[in-house]
Amino acid sequence: MDRNEFITIVMPLKDKLYRLAKRILVSKDEAEDAVQEIFMKLWKGKQQIENYKSPEAFAITMTKNYCLDRLKSKQASNLKIVHSNYQTSENIERNIEANDGVELVFQIMETLPEQQKLVLQLRDVEQFEFSEIAKMLESNETAIRVALSRARKTVRDEMIKKYNYGIS
Amino acid sequence: MESVKIEKLLEAYFEGNTSLAEEKLLRDYFNSNNVAEHLEQYTSMFAGFQVAKEEHSSREFNLPERKSKTNKTWWYSVAAMLVVAFGVGSFYFSQPHYTQEEKEALAAFEKSKKAMMLLSENLNKGAEQITFVEQFAITKDKIFE
Repeated sequence: MDRNEFITIVMPLKDKLYRLAKRILVSKDEAEDAVQEIFMKLWKGKQQIENYKSPEAFAITMTKNYCLDRLKSKQASNLKIVHSNYQTSENIERNIEANDGVELVFQIMETLPEQQKLVLQLRDVEQFEFSEIAKMLESNETAIRVALSRARKTVRDEMIKKYNYGIS
Repeated sequence: MESVKIEKLLEAYFEGNTSLAEEKLLRDYFNSNNVAEHLEQYTSMFAGFQVAKEEHSSREFNLPERKSKTNKTWWYSVAAMLVVAFGVGSFYFSQPHYTQEEKEALAAFEKSKKAMMLLSENLNKGAEQITFVEQFAITKDKIFE
């Protein structure tokens, strides 16, 4: 595979990989660093990409593993994840009417267990098929459905809690 | 009518039993402006996913350097290896190599050289003595003249 081929395969995945990385690592900078790192890794393993049926699934699995590792080493070295991202200016771009609610959805998503967070991101944000998600997360469809159901219910319940609280 | 259908879909949605097409129906419904009042609490959830999908990074990601560069470093190591191989090789080949027979011959040559040297040394000693004899002959001639 030459450089141009590599670019046409990998570049369109940029934003998806970034969003996934950001979902795990929370920080924008760290997510960007992670994507850069993933690109390097993908380039090094480009022979492997060709063998995989879906380069997308391969790249997403790689991103997931890399980011979870990063998170682990960060927690191990006792660094706190900074949850400051949602106060930055980029949020202004967000849908203004639903802003409070949207903000809340993001906050709730952050509190989900890793696997549920990933499933929710890949299904409800990126809209992948269950079979694809199962492959990406090296799991099976049943487990994915269960995790997804839990994640959706948690978001719903937390939203309702906050929603009712906001009204009363 | 519509909201009944949506309620059913929502129920399946929270159990993880909706297809992508059904989820699209839900998204479209909640992103439209006529959400039934009792379902409004779900709006921000779907709006949130929509916003999440629009997130992107504006950073320029560098792709790894061109392949030629990696080739160059590959050549460096090859060149270094050649230099080392040449050095070791030339050192190795500059050392003379003798077979057993040649070694024996060389040893014999050294021995005979030594013997010749000894011989010539002694011969020189003898020649020195001759000068005395010559001196004797000269003085003898002087006296008997």
